[in-house]
Parts: sequence; structure tokens; C-alpha cells
Amino acid sequence: MQKWWIFLLAITLMSCRREISYEVTEAVVNRSDKAFSASVEIDIAEKKFSTPLGVRVHGFGAFTVYWDGYKIGQNGIPSLQGIAEVPGTEMSFYQVPDKLAGLGKHLVEVKGTQSYLPKVDRGLEAKPDSYLKLLRQPLIELSFVNLMAGAFLIAAIYYAFLYANSKLRQRTTLLFAVICFLFFALLAAEYLKFYIDIPYTHFYTRLTIIGWLTFTIAILIPLYFAIHFNLPYKMLFIGLLVFVLLGIYVLEYGHYDLTSQLYSLTFWIASVLILGYALIKKQRGSILVLICFGLSMLINQYVFYDFGLYIAFTLILLCILYLQTLGAKQLEEAHQASQLLSSRLQLELVKKNIQPHFLRNTLTSLIDWVEESPAQGVKFIQALSYEFDLLNEISDQSLIPIRQEISLCQQHLLIMQFRKELTYVWEEQGIEETELIPPAIIHTLLENGITHSIPKADGTIKFLLLFSQTETYKQYTFEVFAENRIRSERKGGNGFRYVEARLKESYGDNWQFSTAPFEGGWRTIIRINS
Amino acid sequence: MRILIIEDEARIAKRLARMTKVYFEQQLTLTICDTLSKGMAFIEHTAIDVLLLDLNLNGENGFEVLETMVSRPFHTIIVSAYTDKAITAFSYGALDFVPKPFDEARLFQAFARLNAKSLKTDHLLKYLAIRKGNMIKMIETWNVNYIKGAGIYSELHVHDGNSELHDKSLDALEQLLPPDEFTRIHRSYIVNLKQIERLIVEPGGKYAVLLKPGLLLPVGRSRYKELRNKMI
Repeated sequence: MQKWWIFLLAITLMSCRREISYEVTEAVVNRSDKAFSASVEIDIAEKKFSTPLGVRVHGFGAFTVYWDGYKIGQNGIPSLQGIAEVPGTEMSFYQVPDKLAGLGKHLVEVKGTQSYLPKVDRGLEAKPDSYLKLLRQPLIELSFVNLMAGAFLIAAIYYAFLYANSKLRQRTTLLFAVICFLFFALLAAEYLKFYIDIPYTHFYTRLTIIGWLTFTIAILIPLYFAIHFNLPYKMLFIGLLVFVLLGIYVLEYGHYDLTSQLYSLTFWIASVLILGYALIKKQRGSILVLICFGLSMLINQYVFYDFGLYIAFTLILLCILYLQTLGAKQLEEAHQASQLLSSRLQLELVKKNIQPHFLRNTLTSLIDWVEESPAQGVKFIQALSYEFDLLNEISDQSLIPIRQEISLCQQHLLIMQFRKELTYVWEEQGIEETELIPPAIIHTLLENGITHSIPKADGTIKFLLLFSQTETYKQYTFEVFAENRIRSERKGGNGFRYVEARLKESYGDNWQFSTAPFEGGWRTIIRINS
Repeated sequence: MRILIIEDEARIAKRLARMTKVYFEQQLTLTICDTLSKGMAFIEHTAIDVLLLDLNLNGENGFEVLETMVSRPFHTIIVSAYTDKAITAFSYGALDFVPKPFDEARLFQAFARLNAKSLKTDHLLKYLAIRKGNMIKMIETWNVNYIKGAGIYSELHVHDGNSELHDKSLDALEQLLPPDEFTRIHRSYIVNLKQIERLIVEPGGKYAVLLKPGLLLPVGRSRYKELRNKMI
């Protein structure tokens, strides 16, 4: 990275050193119908190179170029007596013979035709420079541009694949892939002129393509930020942006370079507004991106280089890349958190029956049974060990068959019957044997029911598990028929938190959990949306 | 002996009742409540000597309950599965903490404390709970200068010169207070050892202590020797 900057600096310095000083008059153009001739006077004052002199000509048409009356080259083929013109390119380079390349005044004459676009007068421009430099300069520029373009092409492909193969399908990922690709296309379109001879007849085609590419990027980059930083009224904001951009397009129609610059300025302002909002909201990464935007403006203002704008663009895209990885990091964290939650829930399930207070209370009763009636004591021990077995079987699963859950509940009731010497009645209705359920959630509700209920006069507590389903949801209703104890803090109990965490783990947000007393007991409803 | 058991697990309650009957034999009035609210209601209208309390009953705020109980005249013995709460229970003024599962020997040990003069324990009482209307006020023991017996109640005299009335008798408090911080100097007085300025022998073989605030309290003849030993 550092080397790259040093290299860039060296190139910038090199190009600042002028190797030739001269004066050029404005072209005098004579047109008659499609034919035209033009002349430019060049006065070379100083020349610091010994390599051949060259001249760069900008203009529309097909023409022959003369240097001090001596033909030095041709651009396209001018039409001649009924033979159609072969259009030349807008920019062309010519070598000047050494014997005519001395200091002092020279005359460049251009003669040819402009059969196509006859109404467009682009004028004519001729500038002398080292012929070698004229040829080499595009290569140097291209080396940078290709580097950038290649990087963004790869990024576009990578993020497109990432989007296609990701479960989450984040919109920002796709958006970033598209932005990268458009930016690649923009760079390609901008510098295509060095690879391909574009006839002047298609000169504006390229500029139009560049214009629309810039237009699209100017919408997508603020859109990316709006989505990433979760801007309120996103679509309204983007709609306004599109309106402004279209306004620029209409008002400045035909001024290709100016339009592009205004597009860039507009999206810069729009982005900075969004980033400012993100900064106020203290969103991650907003400061860095805002600094980059400031920097990109500076570069665009003070690097008077053809590709200064593109360096600024690159900087912005790097920022987005940073945000993108920041997003990936957040996903990674979320994933880790969910894994952590799963293992925590698993642990919580295992802990359920080795909670000191559960064990100690159970053991106290157990001792008493063993002391008072050993035969019953043995049954108690067996019931306890069976419940441990069941818990052990389900502890590392996130969903278990409903029957297994019911067995666990019944086993728990057996144990509690020994402890509390109450009659617990288990009833069920409409249970679908093929259904799966997160482990120990009904068990948790049952535990709560036991703890928070006072038996009816006949010493019984009844539990009822009801299953029902419709097209849109499946529902478990769990009812405890007993007198409710006074509860100081019903909501947010550990048990309910466990149930909710389990539901979230298995069903995301597609569930509802409600729990409330009713006349004669307590009712809990778990609804799982399909 | 009037004993109340608050325990919601029938089997454990029965066990406690059985053992209690064995310990106290004939002179026992025993009541069992299976919910805290029933127990609270019971103590409102019936005087008891000892409460056997299952702490953290059904997740209702156990320590609020404990504060209420220890402010009463009777002694509270915690019988709990939450063994990690023992130190707190002692610091609030429980007479003993019997961890579940327990056997007869451990429960009898707790009952034996009822007759002991003062506790030999590593767990220290840190607060005295005062009942004021429906509110419970917790007074830190270091803040107490001395305690004066007032019939079946006790008057706590604190640093700022105020006094508070405690429902427990001076004898009951003596059992709870840490013996190396507080000492009984008289039939009617317990003092904070740190507050004693010096011992005074008055003419006629009378003894007294001068407390830091400049207060003179009588020392019982039989207790003088013990007090002198403690101060050295």
C-alpha cells in the first residue's frame, strides 16, 4: 500500500515537470459542405527532450495532417468523389520528422471531410509533445485504472457469489456487488478510447454510457448507505435524489463532463447527509466513512488529473467495502451469540434437575421415604433416575418428539407426588404424535404450575395439555387447574425466559407466548406460526 | 414449647414435625402451614416460640420474609435447600440454618441452641430487624451502643442517641448477638464492647461501665469477672 502511494507521488511529480513549452493559436477552420480544412500555428520556445516530437490532434472527421506543409499522417479516410468517408477517431497522434522539429514557428494544417454529424462543430486542437510521452502516457494511466478496475471486477464477482450462496441474502451485499460492477464498467468505458479506435461518429455514445453509469452509481451509493445505516424514510430520500439527478440530466443535456461532475457532487452531498445522520446515531463505522468522504473531496479538488475523480471513487468504494466487512463481522458475532445461546440453553436444561434446591429438597423427601417406608423409597429413586435418563437423552437436541416431552412431564409429576404427597393428574387432548417441540418447555411450565399452585380441597392438581392446529399455526395450550398462589413477579421469571429462548432458537420470531390466570387456574398458550 | 413449621413440601413438613415431637416430647404445641401466607396469618394472632422456616418458599422474596420473621419475638430456624444463603440468614438474625437434606441430629442441634446462652458460630449477626407498623427497619449491629431490657421487649440504643424497640426479649437477643462484640453486663443490659470506655468499681462493691457517650451503666456482681476477662 505504501509503495503504491510513493509510486503515485513519483508519477504525479514526473508529469508536473513540463518537457516542452510552446504557444498555440486557436484553430482557423474553413468548412464547405462536408469538406473542411483547418490550420493551427505552433510556436515552440523550448524543448527538453531529444526523442522525436509528436503532435496530438483532437477533432471530428477523416483527415490528413500536414506539419509545415509536409504530410505527417492521416486519421480515417476522407470521402473522395463518391467514395464514402471512413471516419477517424476524435483523438489521434502523429510523429514529426526530426528535421522539421526545431524550435520556432510551425504550421499544422488539417484537410479532410466530416460526412457524419455535419452539424456538430467540435473545433480542432493540436498540441505538440514528446512523441514517446504521447504514446506512453495512456499506458501509465491505464496501469492504475486497470488495477482499480480489476479489483472492483473481482469484488463484484466475489460479492455476487457471496450473495447467491448466502442464506441471509443481505440486500447490501447484492447492492455492493452491483456498485462494484458498475464502477468497473465506468472505468472500462472511460478508458476504452485507448484500446479501441472509436470512430468520431460514436464519440458521444461512449460519453452517454459514462453519463448513465455515473447516474446509476450516484443513486446506488447513497442507497447503500441508507440501507446500511437504516435511514428513516429511505425511499423518500432516494426518490428526491433521483429527482435531483434527473433535473441535472435535463438542465445540462449535452454537457457530458459537467453532468458527470454534478452527478458526483450530488451523490457526495446525499451520502454525507446520510453519514451525518449515522454519526448522530453513533452508528458503527460512520466516522471513518465520513472522513473518507472528506478525503475524496480533497483528492477530487486538488489532484488535477484525469483519474482524480476515480481515485476519489475508489476511496469511497473502499469505505463501503469496510462497512461490508463490518456487517460480516456483526453477522459472525450474531452467529456466535446464537451458538452460545444454544449451548447455554442446553446447559440450563441439564441444570434443571441438578439445581441444588431441587436436589436437596428431593433428597430430603427421599431420605424420609427410605427411613419410613423403604419400598416406596426405592420406587422414588427409580422415578428419579428415569427422569435423569430422559433429560440426558434430550439434553443435546433442540427439538424432540412431543411424546418424549410428555413422558418427561409425567415422570416429573411422579417425583413431585412423592415429595408433595399430592395427587397430580395429567391429561392431554389432540396430541399429534409426529409433532416436534423444543425440549423441556412444557416441563418448565409444569414446574411453574407445581410451584405456584395450591391444590384444590381434594388435594389434587390437574394439568391439561391441548394441541390444535389450523392452516396458519399450531398451538399448545397448557392449563393448570388449581388455586394460584400470589405471585410477586410473574413476568420475566427464569422459567419463562427459558421457554422464550427455546422458542426463539427453533422458530425465530414465528411464535407467540402468552400466560395468564383464568377462573380456576392458570393457562399458557404457545402458538407456532407456520 | 410452641412451634410453627412453614414448609410447602408435605413430606418434609411431616419429617420436621416427627423429629420436633421426638425432641420436645410432651410439652409441645405444633402447627404446620403449607404456604407462607397461611403462616404469616397464623403468627399475627398466635404467639409462638420457634419458627421452622423453609426459606425461599416458591420463589417469593425469601429475605423480605426473613426480615419480617426475625423482627418478631420468636426465634427463627431456617430449614432450606438454598445452602448458599446461610451466611445471609445468620447476618439477619436466624437462630440457625439447617441445610437440606437434614437428619435428626442436625435438627436437634438447632433446637439445642434455644437453651444456649449465646451462640458459638462463625456466622455473625449483622442486622437487627425492627418492626415499625408495617415496615421493617434494619439496624446494623455495630451501630448499637447498648440494649436495655424492657419487659418482654428490648430497647436498642444507637449511636445517634435514638432508641428503638425490638420485639425480642433481652435473653433472646443475647443468644443471637456475637459474644465477642456484645456482652451481657446486667440483668437489664447488653453492651457493645467497643463502646466501653472503662470499668468502674464504685464504693460498696458496686460495679459499673462508663460508655463512650459518657453514660454509666450498672454491672451485675456475677457478671463482673467475665466482663473484665473480655476487656483484657
